[in-house]
Amino acid sequence: MNKVASENIRELLARYMEGESSQEEMRLLKDFFNSADSLPDDLVPYAQMFAILDEKPQTPTVEALDRLSESPVPAPRRRIPLWPLLAAACVAAFAFIFLTPPKQQDNMAIAYVDGKMLTNETQAMQMGQEALQEIFSNGNEEQQLNDLFNAQ
Amino acid sequence: MMLLGISLCASAQKGLRINEVFEGKLIDKQRMGESLVKGENLAPYNLKVLHTVKFGANDEERAKVDQLFSEDMKERISDDYSNMEFESRDGFIYYAIVQITDNKEGTHRYICYQCKEKYNHYYITLVYMEGMASLSDLRKTFKKK
Repeated sequence: MNKVASENIRELLARYMEGESSQEEMRLLKDFFNSADSLPDDLVPYAQMFAILDEKPQTPTVEALDRLSESPVPAPRRRIPLWPLLAAACVAAFAFIFLTPPKQQDNMAIAYVDGKMLTNETQAMQMGQEALQEIFSNGNEEQQLNDLFNAQ
Repeated sequence: MMLLGISLCASAQKGLRINEVFEGKLIDKQRMGESLVKGENLAPYNLKVLHTVKFGANDEERAKVDQLFSEDMKERISDDYSNMEFESRDGFIYYAIVQITDNKEGTHRYICYQCKEKYNHYYITLVYMEGMASLSDLRKTFKKK
């Protein structure tokens, strides 16, 4: 390689390393390093660099692609830890059971006599009414007369 | 089942001192006659809750119930006889019907007490009521003529 060519190559290399090379200049550089039999020591690393860049990636064969499609490698499963979910479920269940106010029964009539429950609604009502009648029937006559008078 | 009933009724007069009696903490439930009515059965009386207990008591028990009821009476809305009836004998309440502070807008709460003596034993009736009915309405409905 003559000195002139070598100097041109250095200029092209400088432009290449600055990222200012045109497509044509890049092609010239590749051709130069591919065809050079001997190089100055300072250009040898560049020759190796262009040799690596010039390497074509290996294309898989059709058979290899077929094998790949027939036995797909399962994607590694992402392990989700279960304990936080279980803990959250437990907390939600406890909150529901203990923090939800008990639903009041809208209608009920129950009575207890000597600790035994009477399920008969009429009896329960009767006990309640009797207690009220007993209490409300107290009072002096004057009050009762007033009530009677005001009611008329 | 009894526990369920008790737990349901206990909430009705919650906040009152006589709740202790309704809950059977002062007098054993086995010694009581108790009724609890809620809902549609009380609609004719314009009430929502009616809870009654009747029991026999000795001197000490009577004094304690009297004391609890008297403390709750302090919550009465007024001393006006349109809102309460009260009679005492020998320093103890003989009977009382008291409208206490309303817990919800438009809903009245009443506590009633009666203590009758017979052969040195006391027969106590305690009532808690809640509803729209006025005391005047209740008098008309339940007072025997």
